[in-house]
This record gives sequence, C-alpha cells and structure tokens, in this order.
Amino acid sequence: MTNTVLATSLLVAGYEPDLPIVRGVDFAVTKGEIVILLGPNGAGKSTFVKAIAGMVPVHSGTIHLAGRDITRVAPHRKLAEGLAFVPQTENVFASMSILENLQIAVALLPKAQRAAKIDALFARFPDLAIKPTRLAGALSGGQRQMLAVARALALDPPVLILDEPSAGLSPKTVGEVFAMLKRINGDGVTIILVEQNVKAAMAIADRAVILAEGRIAHEGTPAELADDPLIGKIYLGTARHVSSEAAL
Amino acid sequence: MTLDLVAYGAFFLTMALTYAIICLGLNVQWGMTGLFNVGIAAFVAVGAYTSAILTTPETPDRFGGFDLPIAIGWLGAAVVSGALSWGVGALTIRLRADYLAIATFGVAVTVQLCMLNLQPLTGGAFGIGFIPRPFAQLQADALLFSLANCGLLMLVIAGLYLGLQHVAKSPWGRVLRAIREDETAAQALGKRPIRFRLQAFTLGGAIMGLAGAAQAHFIGFIAPDNYMPILTFQVWAMLIVGGSGNNRGAIAGAILVWGLWALTAAAVSAFVPPEDQAQAAALQIVAIGVGLCLMLLLRPRGLFGEVSPLARLRNTLPLSAKE
Amino acid sequence: MNPQFLMDGLIAGAIIGLGAIGVTLTYSILRFSNFAHGELLSWGAYLALGISGALGFLAAGLKQPIGPFSFGWSLPIAAVLAIILTGLLALAVDAALFSSFRRRGSAIIIMVMASFGASLALRSLLEFFFTSKPAYFTQALQIAMKLGGGLRATPDQLAMLVVALVSVIAVHLVMTRTDIGRAMRAVSENPSLAGIAGIDVRRVIRTVWFLGAALACIAGMMSGLIIQIRPYLGHDLLLPLFAAAILGGIGSVPGAMIAGLIIGLCEAFTVQIIGAEWRSAVSFAILIAVLLVRPRGLFGKAS
Repeated sequence: MTNTVLATSLLVAGYEPDLPIVRGVDFAVTKGEIVILLGPNGAGKSTFVKAIAGMVPVHSGTIHLAGRDITRVAPHRKLAEGLAFVPQTENVFASMSILENLQIAVALLPKAQRAAKIDALFARFPDLAIKPTRLAGALSGGQRQMLAVARALALDPPVLILDEPSAGLSPKTVGEVFAMLKRINGDGVTIILVEQNVKAAMAIADRAVILAEGRIAHEGTPAELADDPLIGKIYLGTARHVSSEAAL
Repeated sequence: MTLDLVAYGAFFLTMALTYAIICLGLNVQWGMTGLFNVGIAAFVAVGAYTSAILTTPETPDRFGGFDLPIAIGWLGAAVVSGALSWGVGALTIRLRADYLAIATFGVAVTVQLCMLNLQPLTGGAFGIGFIPRPFAQLQADALLFSLANCGLLMLVIAGLYLGLQHVAKSPWGRVLRAIREDETAAQALGKRPIRFRLQAFTLGGAIMGLAGAAQAHFIGFIAPDNYMPILTFQVWAMLIVGGSGNNRGAIAGAILVWGLWALTAAAVSAFVPPEDQAQAAALQIVAIGVGLCLMLLLRPRGLFGEVSPLARLRNTLPLSAKE
Repeated sequence: MNPQFLMDGLIAGAIIGLGAIGVTLTYSILRFSNFAHGELLSWGAYLALGISGALGFLAAGLKQPIGPFSFGWSLPIAAVLAIILTGLLALAVDAALFSSFRRRGSAIIIMVMASFGASLALRSLLEFFFTSKPAYFTQALQIAMKLGGGLRATPDQLAMLVVALVSVIAVHLVMTRTDIGRAMRAVSENPSLAGIAGIDVRRVIRTVWFLGAALACIAGMMSGLIIQIRPYLGHDLLLPLFAAAILGGIGSVPGAMIAGLIIGLCEAFTVQIIGAEWRSAVSFAILIAVLLVRPRGLFGKAS
C-alpha cells in the first residue's frame, strides 16, 4: 500500500447533486505507473478525472494523494499538493504568450526559483523555446498539448492526469505526444490518462481500467485485456472488423 | 366619510393596477423569457407621451394634439412602445445577455433627455396637460368617477391576464419556455430563439406602453419627472416580490409593493417634519434597493412565485470561485 | 470653432476612461455588468470630501492651497484613504451580495439585477447622508493658464490629467507585468483552467473589486474636483462608462481608456455643435453604433 500515490474510495461525483455520473469508484494508482482509463462514451471517465482535479463536485467518497486526503481541497490548491491536470480542450491560455503561460505555472514557486524553472521547462520542451513570445492560441495542436503538459509539470508534480491528450491531433502528432508522456513517466511522474485512442495508449500503459456506467467494469494489463476476446471486442476495438483507431 | 374612503381606495387601486399592467409586460420579458429590461420607465413614458399627443386637443406650440379617441391613443401607445422595444431588442438580443440591459438603460437615459429637450413634441420639463380622462362626464361625482376608472382598468387587467395565460399555454408560449429552459435543445428542434425572444420583448414593451397610456389618462397630465429610474426600480420590486413567471404574482406584487410604497410615503409626509422629508424619501429608496437584494438572496422565486425562469442560465465561474 | 472643447473633452474622457476600466475588469472577470459601479465613483468622491473636510478641521494648515492648485494637502491625503475605503466598500458589497450568488451558481442576470438594487441603495444612502445639494472640495477660484493653440486649462485640470495618465499606465503595467495581472487575464480568459493552473480565483476576484473601486474613486474625485460632487455623479456617468467599456472591447484596459477619451471628446464636440442638453445622448449613440457595427469593440476578442 505504501506505493499507492493516488487512490479514490467509493467516489461519487457529478455536476448535479441528484445525478451522479461517477457512481462509487475504488481506484488506486501505484507510483510510477501509466494507467489508462477506457470506456464507452458517457461511462464517466472524463467526469472521474475532473472530479479528482476538483472541477466536478464530489458528492461522497474520498480522494487520497500520497496518503493525504485531498477530497475537499480547492482546485487551485491541488497543484501545490502535487496533482497536475491537463484538460481535454482549452488547456492553455490562448490569449497569452507561451512565456506568460509558463509564468503563470511557476507563480507558486518562490520568486528566486522561477526563472531557472522556466529555463528547465524550455530545455525539456525545446520546441516551446523557439519563440516564447508567440501567443498560445497560434500554436499547432501538438505544440499546444506540449505547452499544456509543460505548464502542468512546472511544480514537478508526482501525479499527472490528462484528459484525452490525443483528441483532435494528427496520427503523427499523437505518436509524438505519447512518446513525450512516456519520457515524462521515465522521469518518475505517475500518469493517468483518459483515452479514446486505445491502440496508442495501450502501447505505453502499464495498466488499463475500463469504466462503464460510472463504475469500474474491468481492469488489468494491456495484454490481459487484449487477450480477453469479449473485452477486446466491446471496449478495445481489437476485433478484426473494427478499426483499431476508431473511437469507442 | 366611508364614501371618501371608498373613493380613495378606488383611486389607490386604480394607480396600483396601472403598475400591475407594467408588471405584466415585464413578466412577459423577464418571467417568460429571461430578458432583463433596465429601461422600463422609458417604455412606459413613450406610451404615455404617444397617447397624450394623439388624444389631447390641438395645442399651438406643440406637435399635434390630434384630439383622437382615447382608445386610439392607447393602441398607438402600445404600437409605438412595441416598435421601440423591437428596435432595441433587434440590436441587442443576439449579443451577450447584459448588452440588452445596458442598451435599455441607455434608452431610459435618452428618452428622459428627449422628454426634456424636444419641447415641440413633449412640452419639455412641464410635460403635457389636459390629457382626456376616461369617463370625464362622471368627474362631478368623485366616487362614481373613481369606481368607473378602477373598473375600466380591472377590465384591461383581466383581458391582459386571460390573454397572457392563453399565450403562455399556446404553442408560442411553449416554445418560449423551451428556449428559456434549454436553448440548445430548442435550437435543435428548429426553433430560432432570437426571433421568439425578440417577439416576447416587443410584446412586453407594447404592454408597458399601454400601461403608460392608461396611467397618463388616469392622472391627466404627464411630465419627465414621472419617468425617473425609480419607476423602473419599483416595477422590478413588484415583479420580484410577486414572483417572476407568474402573472397572478405580478399583479399581486404590484398591488402589495405599491401599497407599501404609498403607505410609507404617507407616513413620511404625516410624521416627518418637512425639512427632513427629502432624507426620509431617500431612506425609502434605500429600503427598496435593499429589499430587492434581500428578495434575490432569500426568496429568489418571490412570495408567490412558482417557476424559476432562469434554470438555464448557469453561471460560468468555476467551482473554485464559488467559495 | 473654439478648440477649448478639446481640453474639456480630454478631462471628461479621462474620468470616463478610469471608470470604464473598472467596468471592463468586473465584466471580464466576474462576468456581469455591474450597474453599481457608478456608485463607487460617487462614494469615492464623498469619502474623499468627508475625510479632507475632517483633516482640514483638525489641522487648518492642510487646507492651504498647494502651489497653483485650488486644494491643500488635505485632499491628496484624503484621496489615499478614500481609495482604500472605496476598495473596502466594494469588497463589502461583494461579500454581502455577489459572493453568495457566485456560490450558488446563480444566473448572471440575477447578479446584474442585484447590482441594480445595490446601486439604488448606495446612491440613496448618499442622498440621505449628504442631501442632493452639490458639494465642493474647495471654494478657491482658479485662473486658467494659456497653453498655446487657443487652449486653456486650470492647474487642477492639468494635475488630474497627469493623475489619470499615471493611473492608466500603472494599471496597464500591473496587468501585463505582474503575477496578479497575469492571473486576472487568465481568469478572464478561462476561469476553470485558471483554477487548475494554481490561481486562487477568489483572490483574483477580490483584487478586481479593489482595483476597479480604486480607479472609480479616483475618477469620482476628479469629477468632484473639476465639476462638483452630487449623489448622482456616478449614476449620470454610468452610461458613458458602459459605452466606453463596450467600445474599448470588454476586458481591454487600454481599450477602456482610449474609448473613454473618444467618448469624452465626442461629448465635448456635441456640446459645442448641438448643445449641452444633448451631452448624455452621445454615449447612447456611440453604444448603438458599436453594437451595430462591431459588437466586440475596438480591442475586444471575438466571441
């Protein structure tokens, strides 16, 4: 248990008090893992990660980060607690420059450390350093995703959660984004991602969790799940007549 | 003595009923449609002046005095105020929700300015007098006259009430409600929200114009001072107290708030020394403002309200801002 | 034509611009048009009047005019205190009223309406305390100096223009160069992302109230010093403030100031050409023109 970085217990969450979308999820992530959340549309994947990030009200249950209860922590404090979240859309400040986006990200650090941190982020994501004054709204989809991840990593969070980082990207860029995530994971960051792009995500994931109707339906390693013919057919699109690229 | 009291009661009720008409108009705009009008006074004033110009006898240094029947004046008032509402709505309803509020506020300022400065049309600061009063032939008998006027307005209110209830249940009213509850869904069904909203705003404005005319003919003279922003506030207080979305509430709220207003005003003039009356009047307005806020905070659906008109308009601030 | 209208327009425009910055900030970050903003101008002016009166009473020397100006040290000292108090007033109104609507996720239009009620109460409260008689910071008369080109201005007017310029530059620097400025822009663009990015949205909201109220106080004091102080001072400026905020583009600080100057100059021009009685209609005409031609304003983002 000591290696669990993030755990939810009987988590119930949703936008309306009387309409839970996440209905009692027990979920635990071990340090250093890449976990992918799968499931049909409306299964509550996105709502689940948003509830962890504090963007959707939690009705009951708890969220623990490294043993600390963060269920009721305000969203803006979760970053300082060590939990970074990259939303699916509008995940950068489009009207501000790359540099300003990063300046916002490092604003929680002591003043003396900020410049060095921004330099370090530029070193880690050299594409962003080419023209730091560029407006984030003018970036390509892949660069935007990179900026969003860079912003999220500014405080060196132990846990990074991403909501469909590959949505709307070209196949080539999807590969780059997943390679980037793998690299970040290699630096010791635990990653949880919601994905529709099953094939690419399965390739880097240590474990997959399938949600259905707001509950966990199955979980296992990518290989285990792919071997299960029923799951493969229903959730993973591995059956021959279904394109593996298709959204679920 | 009793007769005097009845006459006064009828007078008071008639006045309250003219406010109730304004309130019904506002209810079409706000209660049924969720459109925020900060310039009520302007639409009422335009109705009042239109009817006054149409029905007064010819006056040498002023445009018109067309000496037309009162009914034509009232009709004209509704048409002109409706047209003004249509213009303001056409310009702003497609934009952000607040822009309509800001534009109607601008209309109020501008109409006030026109009343004061377009002397050849409005008579300037002195306004227009000698507006023909309904049942003028009964004027010798104060009681009968008051009762007749009161009865006339009750008829108008009853007609409007039945009409608006019918409208609310009609297909048009149902579409309006659908748009109010879920704009996207209504759009998906092929309804054009902007058109329906604009129609509702125009209808509401026309009713306010009619109310302005009714009031002008009941009092007999009008001047820019009658249409200050405080009128807008009073009508809002009436609708909020009565509960928006609810026609019966709108009428009840108008009578209740007007009653409170008249009572406190009477108390002020009876018990406060003349030199302090201006201050007391200011406090009276503070009370209306605070009361409006308290109603919004504590009983957002009003005393008699059944329907919340605003389920659809959720605030977009994130959870973190919601303290 | 007498070019003096340029000077009058600039001063009126500076007052409108400062007030409009507050409107535009509240609108872009709290997402509602605050009809009570005008009242912050009036309260600012009256607070400064009260404090400077008290200071002058305590130490008569503070009433001695400074150099060429019509006011003594009591006014600048009072100004600083009034700015702080007006800021606190805005925070208090937010805490008592708007914060509970935010907490409930009330419709924006409910907040607009509440601001409408608040403005009524705040204005009439001033009328209650100070009556509707106009008041003045000072009775001293000033002689206008010739500036060349047919322009004249009193030392007070020039000082106020400098104050306005300094305030706008300061706000612009805060918005573009500081953490809190970036945070404000971030919340204005995307409040939920701002929360995830570690920005305390509530702190940003408090800052916006304080900043907007401070500028409103400065604008109110300017108007009070150059014209007069009345309970309706702010209410009568509200339409120009809204027009300037929309013309400048919601959320744009420089836009609000430039639009304020445009409106001030147009008003002065109208007074010159048509007559003073139509001054207030200018803002409405500009507002309608903007809504017709370019609803997002000069510097606004397309929505």
